[in-house]
Amino acid sequence: MTIADQKDGGLLLAIETSCDETSAAVVRGGREVLSNIVSSQIETHRRFGGVVPEIASRKHVESITMIVQEALSEAGVSRRDIDAIAVTQGPGLIGALLVGVVAAKALALALDVPLIGTHHIAGHIYANRLVGEIVYPALALVVSGGHTELVLLPEEGVFRIVGRTRDDAVGEAYDKVARALAFPYPGGPHVDKLARESGEEVVLPRAWLEEGSYDFSFSGLKSAVLAEINRTKMKGLDPSFGGLARGFQNSVVDVVTTKAMRAAAEFGARQLLLCGGVAANQGIRERLAALCREAGLPMLVPPMSLCSDNAAMIGAAADLKWRRGQFSTLDLAAAAQVSLEEWSVTDNVRNVL
Amino acid sequence: MTLTGKENARDGEPLVLCLDTSTAVLAASVCRGGEALAARQSHAERNHAVRVVSDLKALLLEAGAQEIDAIAVGRGPGSYTGVRIGVSAAKTLAWAWDKPLVGLSSLEVLAMGAGPYLRGEKPASDDIAGAAGRPVWVVPIMDARRGQVYGARFETTDGADWRRLDDDGIRLVGEWGRSLAERAGEAGALLLFAGDIGPHAEAIGALPGAAALQLTMDAGEMGRLAAARLARGQVEDVHAFAPNYTQLTEAEVKLGGAGTEGQA
Ligand SMILES: [Zn+2]
Repeated sequence: MTIADQKDGGLLLAIETSCDETSAAVVRGGREVLSNIVSSQIETHRRFGGVVPEIASRKHVESITMIVQEALSEAGVSRRDIDAIAVTQGPGLIGALLVGVVAAKALALALDVPLIGTHHIAGHIYANRLVGEIVYPALALVVSGGHTELVLLPEEGVFRIVGRTRDDAVGEAYDKVARALAFPYPGGPHVDKLARESGEEVVLPRAWLEEGSYDFSFSGLKSAVLAEINRTKMKGLDPSFGGLARGFQNSVVDVVTTKAMRAAAEFGARQLLLCGGVAANQGIRERLAALCREAGLPMLVPPMSLCSDNAAMIGAAADLKWRRGQFSTLDLAAAAQVSLEEWSVTDNVRNVL
Repeated sequence: MTLTGKENARDGEPLVLCLDTSTAVLAASVCRGGEALAARQSHAERNHAVRVVSDLKALLLEAGAQEIDAIAVGRGPGSYTGVRIGVSAAKTLAWAWDKPLVGLSSLEVLAMGAGPYLRGEKPASDDIAGAAGRPVWVVPIMDARRGQVYGARFETTDGADWRRLDDDGIRLVGEWGRSLAERAGEAGALLLFAGDIGPHAEAIGALPGAAALQLTMDAGEMGRLAAARLARGQVEDVHAFAPNYTQLTEAEVKLGGAGTEGQA
């Protein structure tokens, strides 16, 4: 009886291969991380200036079983102790996702345990549950290399997208600007650092979009940075990289945090969850923390190891479905695009138990 | 499915779960030595990742396999994504069940599909039937676009014993075919292209003395190959096991042929 297993603190083996990290984790009772192994391919992709999907997929195949074994070893458990398998179904790079999904299905067959296909963004959001108690309704600001979303959680396991980027994700915009400022890939953290250290600011536009919208757009801002560099060079001058980094960062932080706070107020959020790889960005993190303090709104943010892509967060999200007995079949399909809202739990736990 | 019990290697022959997903066909079987106890071929290219594990589960049930002795998989060449699906499934199962893993060339598996025709178990064309007693060069091919094929070359005289003559590689069918035809003529061997003939029928038809056999991937002969490898102890390091793509990625080629492991 797998639901009972979970109530007793069952062991979930989670796998995440949506982009360029191969990760496996063992999570007990949906909250306790016994291990969280992340094998980053960043060194491999650096010389290509970005993630090459075919190479990412090749690397996943090469390391998948080793990473799973390391996760078990570090957790001090054996294959036979595993009660369920969770895996990122999407969104992400399809070829990369396939490796994790096929391996997870093979494990579910071999170990004869249930399988839980899990939404990557739900993972980022529920990484917060590994560090604190989530209070509903909660508003999540998801910022990463692939995503920029404002998600309302009216209750546990239910997701409503309030706003999303219409073009580049925040992390993507940071990396593109970083390239223009001559930083090596991945350059986002360099821009963050330069922005905070710079004594000057080249003021850049804010993309507020239409009145009341919670959506984002960063491609215009990125273009503004490039245009400013060209304009300065045409005059035979050296562009101020520090001033541009600061101007870019201030524009992003202003728009992202203002919209998040406005949405939190409108939807009566009792907590703000910051998550995703770009949650490491000091600019965003500090401003949001200050605004939340001012508004008396508690804010949760996972430690860095749980913000960037990792399997423990997938285990935390999968636990939502495990407790409700909502499993996937062995025909689970990886998908580059998956709706977060549709991934919401479909039943209340009380109705099942 | 939990595999328990200790009835392995009944009759001294290993029970092997076989899989190849390098082509549009998802080919799988449960074999005891050279005999296929259960086999299937699913023609659904875009569905390999969806169907692969449930197909294997169904096959194990159909074969009544309580515990298999080994897993054999085609490691390519072929569709990059397809090969990754088979290899990921096979190495994970081998690790989870703690069973030996046999990596086979998908081209060799494809070539072995000609075995039943050469042995007279399946009706063959006149050229093939007429080659009895002569060496046959079986050249398995998979379309690799732009006039190229993934190909290799094997020699057999009886369709049961095989010898590899050329490594797996990607080749221009026109040039390669002409050189093979010339050498086959000198060696008195029948040159038999087997596999994805369609896109290359014209090029093959123009080669003197060459025959063609349209074949799709079939896992029925994989057990025979796997049993031979197992008997020789030729098994893979499960963790390190990876597909044989035969080619670098485009990004690596552009960067000047650096391997995926990096140069520094
Ligand atoms: Zn992510």
